[in-house]
Amino acid sequence: MINEMRSYFLLVPVLLFLLLSTAAQAVDDPLDVYVVNYPLKYFAERIGGPHVKVTLPVPADVDPVYWTPKIADIGAYQQVDLILLNGAGYAKWVNTVSLPRSKTVDTSRGFKDRYITVKETMTHSHGAEGKHAHEGLAFTTWLDLYLASEQAEAIAEALARRRPQLQDEFRANFQSLEKDLLALDGRIRAIVSANNTVPIIFSHPVYDYFVKAYGLNGRSVHWEPEQEPSSAQIAELRNLLETHPARWMIWEGTPVKPAVDVLHAMDIQSAAFNPCGNVPSDGDFLTVMQQNVVNLEPVFR
Amino acid sequence: MISGSAMVETESLKFQYHESSFHLSIPYFAVQAGEKVAVVGPSGSGKTTLLNLLAGILAPMEGSIKVGKTAVSDLNDAGRREFRIRNIGFVFQDFELLDYLSVLDNILHPYRITDALKLTGEVRQRAILLAEQMGVDSHIKKHPKELSQGEKQRTAICRAMLPQPKLILADEATGNLDPENKTRILDLLFAAVDDHGTTLLAVTHDHELLRRFDRVIDFNHFQSDGPG
Amino acid sequence: MHSFYLAWKYIIYNRIKTAVLVACVTLIAFLPFALQLLLEESERQLTSRAVSTPLVIGAKGSALDLVMNTLYFGDEHPEAIRMEAVNRIWDSELALPIPVYTRFKARGFPIVGTTLDYFEFRRLEPASGRNMAVLGECVVGARVSADLNLKPGGSLVSSPESLFDLAGVYPLKMKVVGVLEKAHTSDDLAVFVDLKTAWVIQGLGHGHQDVTRLTDPSLVLKRSGSNVAATAKLYHYMEISDKNIGSFHFHGNTDGYPITAVIAVPADEKSGTILQGRYLSKNENQQILRPKVVIDGLLQNIFRIKNVLDAVVSVVALATIMAIVLVFALSLRLRQSEIQTIFKIGCSRLTIAKLLAAEIMIIVAASGFLCGFLLMVVNRFTNDLVRRLFIG
Repeated sequence: MINEMRSYFLLVPVLLFLLLSTAAQAVDDPLDVYVVNYPLKYFAERIGGPHVKVTLPVPADVDPVYWTPKIADIGAYQQVDLILLNGAGYAKWVNTVSLPRSKTVDTSRGFKDRYITVKETMTHSHGAEGKHAHEGLAFTTWLDLYLASEQAEAIAEALARRRPQLQDEFRANFQSLEKDLLALDGRIRAIVSANNTVPIIFSHPVYDYFVKAYGLNGRSVHWEPEQEPSSAQIAELRNLLETHPARWMIWEGTPVKPAVDVLHAMDIQSAAFNPCGNVPSDGDFLTVMQQNVVNLEPVFR
Repeated sequence: MISGSAMVETESLKFQYHESSFHLSIPYFAVQAGEKVAVVGPSGSGKTTLLNLLAGILAPMEGSIKVGKTAVSDLNDAGRREFRIRNIGFVFQDFELLDYLSVLDNILHPYRITDALKLTGEVRQRAILLAEQMGVDSHIKKHPKELSQGEKQRTAICRAMLPQPKLILADEATGNLDPENKTRILDLLFAAVDDHGTTLLAVTHDHELLRRFDRVIDFNHFQSDGPG
Repeated sequence: MHSFYLAWKYIIYNRIKTAVLVACVTLIAFLPFALQLLLEESERQLTSRAVSTPLVIGAKGSALDLVMNTLYFGDEHPEAIRMEAVNRIWDSELALPIPVYTRFKARGFPIVGTTLDYFEFRRLEPASGRNMAVLGECVVGARVSADLNLKPGGSLVSSPESLFDLAGVYPLKMKVVGVLEKAHTSDDLAVFVDLKTAWVIQGLGHGHQDVTRLTDPSLVLKRSGSNVAATAKLYHYMEISDKNIGSFHFHGNTDGYPITAVIAVPADEKSGTILQGRYLSKNENQQILRPKVVIDGLLQNIFRIKNVLDAVVSVVALATIMAIVLVFALSLRLRQSEIQTIFKIGCSRLTIAKLLAAEIMIIVAASGFLCGFLLMVVNRFTNDLVRRLFIG
C-alpha cells in the first residue's frame, strides 16, 4: 500500500515535468515563415535568428516577381505561422490565391502612400467610361534602403506579436540590421551626391525606388544581361540617348561581352547593380548590396 | 332424462320491476336434474324474468331459489355472478355473439371475463371438441358476420356448454332460425345436454318442438300482471 | 391479460375508428412536444452560433437581418459595405477582421465569399480534398456535398441573380476542391469561395484576352495612346483555369469592393469594447453588433409567440379530448347489448370497466408510440426544419 502511494507521488512530478516540457518546446519551436523574395528572407533571418525558419520556395534560377506557385506551394504558404509579403504589387500571384490574412504581413503597408506608380505602355478599360486596369506599381521597394529598414521593422513587429517573450531579442536584432542598412544608405548618398543628375540608363525598369531615393536621373530599357541586344533594342537605345545622353548602363547582373561591346561602341560603359530579388549564389543581401555600391562608384565619379 | 332430484327449485317466488306494474308470483317451481323442460306462455308473462331470476341476474323480493345445492336467492351480487358463470349457461334468441371475436374466441369468452374460470390448454381442447360436435370446427377462425344463423347459434351453444354448467337456460334459442335449422339446433342442444347430464330449461314459442321436451310448463298457470 | 386480449381484438376489428382516435391523441400529444423540440433546437443553433461570434459589423439597418445573414446565411441580404471596413478594423489592431460576402447562390445554396481565416475561426477542416487555394475554387459544406453529390474534382456553377438580368452577374463555373467535415451548423449548407472569387462572380473581376492586342475591330470601342477601351462583346471567361488565370484582374481599387459584413474577433474583451466604442458616432454609417444580444432578443420574441401557441394548442387539445370522450361515450352506448350479454354470462361491472380501460390504454400506448416515432423523425430533421422555419 505504501509502495503504491510512493509510486503515485513520483508520477505526479514526472507528469508535470512532461507537460511543462511540451509547452516549453512548443514555445521554443522556430516560427515557420514563408516569404516572396530574398530581401525579406534575409531580413527575417537577421531579426529572427534561431527562432525562425524562413523559406523562399522560388527556384534559384527564377525571378520571384514572375514566379507562379503550384497548388502544393500555395498549400505550404497556407500552413505556416507567418507569411511575409513585399506589397506594392510584388508577386502578382497573391491576387489570385487564398492566403490567411491573420498570418499575412504586407511589409510595405506602412509606406503605401509612397508607392511609385508606373505608367504602363498600355492599359485597358471596359466601355467608354470604365476604370482602367494595369496601372502598375513599382515593386522593388527594398532598393530604397530607408524603406527597406521600414520593411524590416514591420517584420520585427510581426515576429514579436507571435513570440512576445522574444520581442527584446527581435528588437535588438532589428536595430543591428537597421544600422547596417542605414550605413549602406549613407554610403550610397555619399557616392551619388557629387553627381546625382548624371544621366544613366538602366537595363530594366526595376530601379524606380532607387532612382527616387537618391534623386538619380535614370531611364530604362528592356535588355537582358545574358542576351546580346537586338537591332531593335539598339535602335531604341539610340533614340533614347538623343534626349538622355547617358554614359553608363546599370545592369541587373553581369552582362555578356557582346552587349558590353555594343555599348562600348556607343561610348557607354556597364556597371552591375544586382537588385537581389532571389538568393545570391555568393554572399548575402548585405554583401551583394555592398558590392553594388562599389560597382556604382565609377558611375558618379 | 329425469334423475329424480330437483336441479332447480323455487318457493313462494315473488318479483316486481322498479316503477313497473309487472308482478311475478310463482308459488312453486321445480325442474329435475337432467330434465329438458320447455316453458311456454304469452309474451309478457314473465318467462324471461324467471330465467333471469334463476340465473341470479335478478334478485327476488320474496321467496327462495335453489339451483343445485345452492340457494341462489341468498347470495349477494358477486356471489350470484360467480355462481352463474360456473353453473349456468345461456343461449339467447339473438345469439349475442361478439362481432369482433372469432368463433373460437367467442366460445372461450366466459373464461376471459371472470377470474372464476381458468383458461387452460385443456379448456381450449374442449372448446375445439365442442366446436366439432356442433359442426362449427371449420369456422373457428371466422367472425360471426361470416356465419349463417344456424352456425351462430351453434357457436352460442358451444359458449354456453364450455364451462360444463349444471343448467342451460335457453331463451327462444330457435326463435330466429328457419325450420330446418330449428330442428338441427334442438338436436344438437339435446345431444349436448344429454352427453353432459346438464339440465335444460328452454323458453319457446315454437309448439312444434314441444313434444321433444321431457315436460312443458305453461306460464299461464303462474300469476303475473303486466309485461315481463 | 384477458382484458388486453379482448381490447386488442376489439380495436383491431374497428380499425378505422381506432386509427382516428389514435391520430387525434397522437396529434394533441405530438404538437406541444414537437414545438418544444423545434424551439429548443432553434435556441441551441441560434445561441451557440451567436455566442461563438463575438462581433459583427455591417451597414446600418436591421440588426436581425445582418446577424441572420452573416451567421446563418439567411435569404435577407443587408445593404453591402465596402472592403475598406475590413482595413479599418485591421489597422485598429483591436480585432481580427473576417469579411463575409453572401450575395450569391449556387443551386439553391448560399455562396459565402470569405478568407481562410473564416475556416480557422469556425474550426472547419476538409473531410476530403483540401481547402481553396486559387481563384475560382470552392469548398462545400457536408450537406451541399450530399445533396448535390459533389466531391473534390467536381464543379458547381453559380446561379444568375435573375433570369432576365442580362447585364448582371455572370455564372461562374467553380471547381470543387474540398468537402468540409460535418459541422451541424449553417456551414454545412454553404459553398465557400475566396472573397475575390465572389467578386469575380459579381463581375468586378474577370479574365479575358489581352485587350491591347485585339485585332477584331468589333471588340474595340476606343483606342488612345495609353488606353484601349473594349466593347461589351469582349468574351469574359466563365471558368478559371491554369491557362487563363493569369488574365484575371480587378478594375479599380479593391478597398471599395462590396462585402456583406465583417466578423470581428477581438484580441480580448477590452479590445472588443474599445472597438465597439469606435462605431458610436452619429455620423457612422456602419453598425457593430454582438450577435448574442440580437439573438437573445429574437428568442424572446419566439418564446412569446410560443406561449401564445401553447395556449392555442391547449384549447385545441381540450376540444379534442372532449371529442374523444364523446366518441368513447357513444361507443359505450353502441356496445350496450354486448355489455348486457357479458353481464348476463357472469361478468362483473368492474371487469367491464377493465375491458374499457384496456382499450383506452392500448389507444394511448399506440398514440404514445406513434408520437415518440414522430418526435424521433422531427428530431432527425430539426436542423433542416429550424433553418426553413426560423432562419429562412
